[in-house]
Amino acid sequence: MTKDEKSLNQCLAEWKLFIYNLTTGEFLGRTAKSWGLILLFYLVFYGFLAALFSFTTWVMLHTLNDEVPKYRDHISSPGLTVFPKPVTALEYTFSMSDPTSYAGYIADLKKFLKPYTLEEQKNLTTCPDGALFEQEGPVYVACQFPLLLLQACSDMSDPGFGYSKGKPCIRVKMNRIIGLKPEGVPWIDCVLKNEDQTNITTYPYDGITDLKYFPYYGTKLHVGYLQPSVAVQVTLAPNSAEKEVTAEYEIDGSPKLKSQDDRDKFLGQVMFKITAHA
Amino acid sequence: MVGGFSILLWVGAFLCWIAYGIQYSSDKSASLNNVYLGSVLVLVVILTGVFAYYQEAKSTNIMSSFNNMIPQQAVVIRDSEKKTIPAEQLVVGDIVEVKGGDQIPADVRVLSSQGCRVDNSSLTGESEPQPRSSEFTHENPLETKNICFYSTTCLEGTVTGMVINTGDRTIIGHIASLASGVGNEKTPIAIEIEHFVHIVAGVAVSIGILFFIIAVSLKYRVLDSVIFLIGIIVANVPEGLLGTVTVTLSLTAKRMAKKNCLVKNLEAVETLGSTSIICSDKTGTLTQNRMTVAHLWFDNQIFVADTSEDHSNQVFDQSSSTWASLSKIITLCNRAEFKPGQENVPIMKKAVIGDASEAALLKFSEVILGDVMEIRKRNRKVVEIPFNSTNKFQLSIHETDDPHDKRFLMVMKGAPERILEKCSTIMINGEEHPLDESTAKTFHTAYMELGGLGERVLGFCHLYLPADEFPETYSFDIDAMNFPTSNLCFVGLLSMIDPPRSTVPDAVTKCRSAGIKVIMVTGDHPITAKAIAKSVGIISANSETVEDIAHRLNIPVEQVNQRDAKATVVTGMELNDMSLEQLDEILANYQEIVFARTSPQQKLIIVEGCQRQDAVVAVTGDGVNDSPALKKADIGIAMGIAGSDAAKNAADMVLLDDNFASIVTGVEEGRLIFDNLKKTIAYTLTKNIAELCPFLIYIIAGLPLPIGTITILFIDLGTDIIPSIALAYEKAESDIMNRKPRHKKKDRLVNKQLAVYSYLHIGLMQALGAFLVYFTVYAQEGFLPHTLINLRVEWENDNVNDLEDHYGQEWTRYQREYLEWTGYTAFFVGILVQQIADLIIRKTRRNSIFQQGLFRNKVIWVGIASQIIIGLILSYGLGSVTALSFTMLRAQYWFVAVPHAILIWVYDEVRKLFIRLYPGSWWDKNMYY
Repeated sequence: MTKDEKSLNQCLAEWKLFIYNLTTGEFLGRTAKSWGLILLFYLVFYGFLAALFSFTTWVMLHTLNDEVPKYRDHISSPGLTVFPKPVTALEYTFSMSDPTSYAGYIADLKKFLKPYTLEEQKNLTTCPDGALFEQEGPVYVACQFPLLLLQACSDMSDPGFGYSKGKPCIRVKMNRIIGLKPEGVPWIDCVLKNEDQTNITTYPYDGITDLKYFPYYGTKLHVGYLQPSVAVQVTLAPNSAEKEVTAEYEIDGSPKLKSQDDRDKFLGQVMFKITAHA
Repeated sequence: MVGGFSILLWVGAFLCWIAYGIQYSSDKSASLNNVYLGSVLVLVVILTGVFAYYQEAKSTNIMSSFNNMIPQQAVVIRDSEKKTIPAEQLVVGDIVEVKGGDQIPADVRVLSSQGCRVDNSSLTGESEPQPRSSEFTHENPLETKNICFYSTTCLEGTVTGMVINTGDRTIIGHIASLASGVGNEKTPIAIEIEHFVHIVAGVAVSIGILFFIIAVSLKYRVLDSVIFLIGIIVANVPEGLLGTVTVTLSLTAKRMAKKNCLVKNLEAVETLGSTSIICSDKTGTLTQNRMTVAHLWFDNQIFVADTSEDHSNQVFDQSSSTWASLSKIITLCNRAEFKPGQENVPIMKKAVIGDASEAALLKFSEVILGDVMEIRKRNRKVVEIPFNSTNKFQLSIHETDDPHDKRFLMVMKGAPERILEKCSTIMINGEEHPLDESTAKTFHTAYMELGGLGERVLGFCHLYLPADEFPETYSFDIDAMNFPTSNLCFVGLLSMIDPPRSTVPDAVTKCRSAGIKVIMVTGDHPITAKAIAKSVGIISANSETVEDIAHRLNIPVEQVNQRDAKATVVTGMELNDMSLEQLDEILANYQEIVFARTSPQQKLIIVEGCQRQDAVVAVTGDGVNDSPALKKADIGIAMGIAGSDAAKNAADMVLLDDNFASIVTGVEEGRLIFDNLKKTIAYTLTKNIAELCPFLIYIIAGLPLPIGTITILFIDLGTDIIPSIALAYEKAESDIMNRKPRHKKKDRLVNKQLAVYSYLHIGLMQALGAFLVYFTVYAQEGFLPHTLINLRVEWENDNVNDLEDHYGQEWTRYQREYLEWTGYTAFFVGILVQQIADLIIRKTRRNSIFQQGLFRNKVIWVGIASQIIIGLILSYGLGSVTALSFTMLRAQYWFVAVPHAILIWVYDEVRKLFIRLYPGSWWDKNMYY
């Protein structure tokens, strides 16, 4: 036991000596001069490394095109996403009688629709329907996306987006991908799980997305670009107190746009659930 | 095996599982990566354990083939009947009979004996047969003549005795229990590995805690911070190193086995390299354990006989007719015979029936004269008196082979002074001269000189019996002694010794130049011990003991200045009276030390004394008496052929050819493996930082995770394994045998410089290179470096499926994940490419790579090829297996880190250049590992 205590004391003494040694003036095993040298060395060394890394990164960044990413192989086909963004994973829950329960959704939708207001769109071009709107530059113009297309789901007809009436609007949009040129007539198709109880309306009619909104040329070139979207209005049957609807959407009509993927549940498809309380 | 290491991995595994537990409790869908990682860690420990066990078991198998265990039988008198029973059924009080050739079945007190001599060499180290009789001659049971010891062999004669001890209570049993009572010391390499584990653990825990604090202050949840903490600690665990070290050690063990050093305990491979003192037994290790004629004296001259293993060239003058007479006596006055059926065996290797000195004489004459049995046949033996301890001579009378000479020839050999007493004439140049004072004096000088060499001297004389007194029909009677035994003609002296093996002096010199002190510790007599020590160079030619100086200056021993003597011979008796401090003083002050007449306990004390000097002690030995010291030593080396089973069991290493010179090979291999392990560890530690940095950046800057756990595992246990083993094949940078043994406490396997240089220099450069590849991949896909910062939360959110990149494109979660995996693969390739550079720079620590030769070690290139091939397979072959999270990487990304790899090489060359240019400078001190 005494031996242990002694060694403990020794240990402490050694540590003390290590932290500051009076006789040699060593602090943490090095003298001030030695510390100075080593710090200077690391300052220079790391300075050099940092400069080198910055330089190589700078060179790498300069090989990039500022307008179009070098590769787009990781996003060959767009995903489908919905607005408003539900709080939990793709489940909308609200109570018709309680406006606060859906105020978040409405704010989200409004935010999303902001670029689509007439005022924002007045500088955009009216493009010919039904064909790809390919441009050569140097100035790229964006096509108008008339909100009217969304009919009942544009905030012009109902600023509440139907939530209070049990007819909530959800917007389904296709992810932007630079240079994507779908063929055929892509449309967003709805598959409703429990059809008998509910009625579902898609605006524009049948969820058709006009080809004139493609291709996309990237934020820098394609200023003011409005991505096409589809509005979905679910009319929940008014008779029951609590209603639940599961809806699934997928892109159809264009073989290039994939809508089936084992791993990616959002590649060309999206599924969401709406639960409305009275 | 490598205990500290496995513990580190076990701790890592448990931390992984704890982390998973924490994650699981908060999120049921938590990724199983941590579970996999933990399991892999455990798997590594288990596989390595099995491998090491298999390696060691293989050595043990080779060992066990040596023991041909024949159940020992004993002849016992019970119920007044002779019975043969298994030796283990003997009890104290049994009366046993043992005859020549048998093993003594227990400790036996001699009741009666007829010319019994036993071989005690395995017990006491005495090469010469020891006579046994019923007289009590000494207090010490090991010294007295009336006790035969269990497991020794009765060489000749018969003995009847009473069993006084059996089993564990025998002297051998005591020694065995002494050996088993000695704790197994940690091997130096185990201590080094432990030290290394401390460093790694220290680094891991401090980085972990530092980043835990950072994470908490960055407002991460505490639970997440704990996960980070565990992640950082686990990331520091070098998963591959345990296996690499084990394989490396066993490769060296294999290499050493080829050179006849069989390593029983893998860790002992390195121990020889750090050995600073070798305590060598004499008999059988330094010597051949076979009495051999070393000198002859006739015609007033001393002749030297060849004592090498094959007796090939006997160069002394054989023309004198004195030699003709002497050789006749040697041949005829000898009862030893070759065992039949050995026609094709070289003479020196033939088995002989008879005692050691007679066998020596037989072989000596067989080599020089040819067929001894034929000569004996031609000179028919009429009568003989065998050697006994009262007469101290042996006599026989023969017919001569000259058909015209009808005289009988009487030949006699024995203790020189007794032989001389019986002589009145001496043969010089074939003529008989009267033996006067002056010839007697020359005889004594020669006798003293040969005796002083530690040799056993025999005198030879003869007499032709006059034909008229002893006609052909004369009947000789040995009891009546009806023939003369005085006034004989003295012919010459022969001296014998157990000579040193011919390779030993060279090996001792090599040990010396390698800074290893060789101490002889033997049970044999001091004079013999000293003579052998001198002849093998343990006491070098120009150094003297205190006694030598006293003798030279003709002054009493007490007046000699102790400092003048470089060498000393200490006997067991002197050792008994010494305090430990005195022993320490002797061990510290004398360069050349011989311990003689030591008991097994004293061997142990000597070894402990050496260990107190902070030395790494190797003990070589073959006898049972050596086994406790073998066990106590840092490395015990037993003799494979001559060694007793007890010695082999206690040892860590077995010399298959019994050759001390093999130890030198072992030292060389041990030192090389120490250097190469340093390189392996430095290589392995480097990428640890490159693997850890991404995680740290991920926590602090919120980048998408640059490299995943599984990917790291594929580096640690995949691409890096063969290269790090390849470093074990690296040749030495300089002559490692001209260097002092490493200091146990100063020259560490992993020192501060190694850790700092690997972590903070090369490791960091590697991390930067790998980050460059990572950023390139992300940037070219649309995520520029600045957009990545603090993207982590959104990036990893499963509900965000339209994350915008720099160009306005929107990514689903899975698309991002796939990009993340491409990032992993890119980072992996970045590390891989730079590890190739790391591997090349680790080939040397001081010399330029170009001095060492880029292509001399072919295995390195196999390693590099394996790295690239495994990398290609992972990326392109298994790129579609989701669980592995590798993707097909564009070919050009393989080259992004190449400039960094070149930079690493250049930087290290510059480092080495400055080290070579300015030895001892600030740079050397801080940068040389």
